[in-house]
Amino acid sequence: MDRRDFVKLGAAISGTLVAARAAGQALPSQARPLPAKPGPFPGGQVRVVTPNGATLPMKEKDGLKIGHLVAMPVDHTFAPGLEGACWGYNGRVHGPTIEVVEGDRARFYVTNRLPEPTTVHWHGIILPNGMDGVAGLTQRPIMPRETHMYEFTFDKPGTFMYHPHFDEMTQMALGMVGMIVVHPKKPKGPRVDRDFALITHEWAIRAGMRRPDPNEMKDFNVLTFNAKAFPGTEPLVVGKGERVRIRLGNLSAMDHHPIHLHGLSFEVVGTDGGDIPVSARVPETTVLVPTGSVRVIEFVPTESGDWAMHCHMTHHIMNQMGHGMGVIVGANAAKIDARVQQLVPGYMTMGHTGMGDMAEMKMPAPKNSIPMVGGKGPFSSIDMGGMFTILKVRDNPESEDGSGWYSHPKGSVADKADAAMMQADGVDPDVKF
Amino acid sequence: MNLSRKAQYILPLAVALVTGCSSSTVATDVRDVNAFLAAQGRNIGQRPGAGSAISMPTEDAWENDGAEAPRILAKPLTADDAVKLALVQNRELRASMYELGIARGQAVQAGLLPNPEIEISLRAPQDPFQRLQADIGFEYDLSALILVPLRKGVADAELEATRVRVARDVLETAFQARLAFYDVQARQAVLDLQKRAFDAFQAGYAAAEELHRVGNLPDADLAIHRAAVEASRIDVAEAENALLDARERFNVAAGLSGQQVTWTIAGPLPPPEDMPVDAVVTEKKAITASLELAEIGRRMEAAAKRVGLHRTQGVMPHVSGGFHGEQDGISWELGGHVTVGLPIFDRAQGRIISAKSELGALRERYVAAAIGVRSSARMTQNRIESAGKRARHYQQALLPAREKALAETLLQYNAMHVSVFQVLDVQRRVTETGIAYTETLLDYWKARASLDQILAGGARPRALGAVSTGHTSSAGMDVGSGAGH
Repeated sequence: MDRRDFVKLGAAISGTLVAARAAGQALPSQARPLPAKPGPFPGGQVRVVTPNGATLPMKEKDGLKIGHLVAMPVDHTFAPGLEGACWGYNGRVHGPTIEVVEGDRARFYVTNRLPEPTTVHWHGIILPNGMDGVAGLTQRPIMPRETHMYEFTFDKPGTFMYHPHFDEMTQMALGMVGMIVVHPKKPKGPRVDRDFALITHEWAIRAGMRRPDPNEMKDFNVLTFNAKAFPGTEPLVVGKGERVRIRLGNLSAMDHHPIHLHGLSFEVVGTDGGDIPVSARVPETTVLVPTGSVRVIEFVPTESGDWAMHCHMTHHIMNQMGHGMGVIVGANAAKIDARVQQLVPGYMTMGHTGMGDMAEMKMPAPKNSIPMVGGKGPFSSIDMGGMFTILKVRDNPESEDGSGWYSHPKGSVADKADAAMMQADGVDPDVKF
Repeated sequence: MNLSRKAQYILPLAVALVTGCSSSTVATDVRDVNAFLAAQGRNIGQRPGAGSAISMPTEDAWENDGAEAPRILAKPLTADDAVKLALVQNRELRASMYELGIARGQAVQAGLLPNPEIEISLRAPQDPFQRLQADIGFEYDLSALILVPLRKGVADAELEATRVRVARDVLETAFQARLAFYDVQARQAVLDLQKRAFDAFQAGYAAAEELHRVGNLPDADLAIHRAAVEASRIDVAEAENALLDARERFNVAAGLSGQQVTWTIAGPLPPPEDMPVDAVVTEKKAITASLELAEIGRRMEAAAKRVGLHRTQGVMPHVSGGFHGEQDGISWELGGHVTVGLPIFDRAQGRIISAKSELGALRERYVAAAIGVRSSARMTQNRIESAGKRARHYQQALLPAREKALAETLLQYNAMHVSVFQVLDVQRRVTETGIAYTETLLDYWKARASLDQILAGGARPRALGAVSTGHTSSAGMDVGSGAGH
């Protein structure tokens, strides 16, 4: 059986799975809600958009903003084909973004529907000690079926996060994190047109499992933006010439993430500690977001297109691939397959010419897993996954829902070189070194 | 001695006179044994319900009908073929038939009447005037004559016991042939599986060699894979030798030699039967059918008769009688005499003690054998149930689980969570489980044959052997956690 036949066989065997995946796949070509319009925040600041996420609804009563977080088990889809038995807030993983304005006094009820106690720590917020949410140190834990109340004033604008501080290893590993955006009463600097909040996170979910492993210390195989792995990540649609802010928070267990944007440079304008002085800002294309930290970047894209945005740790842009198969690159697959297939007919050596085409092979995979799954691109398969999304810069972003691909001007796409032109330019493809 | 008792002795005596000169042939013994087994309803060496009973071929068939064995050997053998072959060809079994002939000869001999003795003497007187003188005497051992029926009774009982023992030999021969054949089937299956395991090690080594060639595997790992191949090669060699040994055991059991030893088998051991066994019924049947008990019973009967014989001998004076004629040259003088030995000192006390002790010993052995038969029946039944359950568990649960583990591990390989070596390792676990299943299946069929043997009245199996535990390590979780970036 050659590779082509094998692929056919594999496709036939996994037909149901593939079909199911295809049916549930939220590819960029599918319709999405249009980007949010600017919201009613002071200074005309736009409402924060949390791709693949939501904002916590808050009631206002007597000048007090009231929110309710329910810590609970949640069935979550990381990407089509990978379901997780997670914990989150209000039925979501991650929890909804809390969006308030500097000076707001807020009251948060936190109900615990977990099988163990919890707390909420308001990461980066300066508040009374007894509201800091550290079990044992500043409060007693919220026991299962209890509801606790936190109340404090958001005195400082910026970007923050929330997460438990009881058994944080388990609870955060299972997804219990969220972003907090505190808008300034009086915005400084240029007005932004788009404001996104993204949490980077890492999970250990062995192929075929549903429960992320909280005990894992180094081998994380599902890497996410807002708890979604590509192709499940929602693209960020912005306008050419618009000022865009992206708030990046990292509550991964062990890893920092160097987030790299294509097609533009940006400045890091803030952390969860506050704004970075203008004089200290430098142009970057990659921002390192350490664990437990926030980095806020701003930029104005000048080039339209579909631009990759991803963690630059190469293993973080692969979906659920393990490292147990050893190094196969360079091997002659025929020498291995001939013997092994006699014993295990479904076996096929792979990775011997590299791993880039594996997403196309449609190998039968363990149930509830997304190894070697990339996304569909306008030219071919995008063989990346995990902490990867697309920044869609459009001339008219209001008419785009993010499902369409950029239409390139003629002659602006790299393609196969013309042989005559190569010869005229003195380029010999068979040159020896 | 009244008339009827006289008749009791006279009738066998007359029969003995008539049959005493007839020869005892093996053919007669074979017919006797077959008739005995048929009368007892034994199905020699065949599984219940497997068809008509197999019987010993006649002596003529042994020597003249040489077509039976080639006909059986022309096709791949089944277990029932194995039994037929053994009954046709097993030389030890034929020897047993001759031993039956020995016993029969002794019985015939015991029934023969004592020969009369005639004494003739001539005397030449030194006196020239006297003629040659002649004496003639006739002597007959009356005691021996009287004791013939008793001796014959003892010998007949011994003959009957020997006949039962030979019947047991027939069953034992069939049983041993069946066991030997089952072992061949098992050893063949194990060899095939060991070869498959060897193929897996070789595949692993081929993969390791290739990965090592392109710089993806260190020398140490390559050496480990090479060592695994070489170790597996020894396993295969041992399995081959085990198969050859098993074949030779069967050759002996079936009496095969020369070109006959190139036989093949029709297939592997079949899966266990779903045939529940009733413990109480089994025990009762085993006791009722036991030829071992029957033989001891016959020997007890012989011993009891021997006690009677010796007692009679002890109290009965030795009597012989005759007549005498003397020719003194002129006339004959005729007269008779009776010699009576007085049982004063030797009243056969020693032989009586020995015979009574022999009877007592046999009585105890009878009880011991009965205990043994019951225990063997229970043990065999337990083994059938246990081995059957385990074999079915292998077949219906563990092997499918191993296959499932292999399929899932292959998926994990596709997900790059495990290596080709781990895939092959899990595949070898399937093979190992197959070997363990085969050994358990062999346990089951040995026990099954043993029970059939017991219920047919054959000898108790000396031992069922240790319970096969196989290589069913619950490991298999070592496919690597594999997750991670």
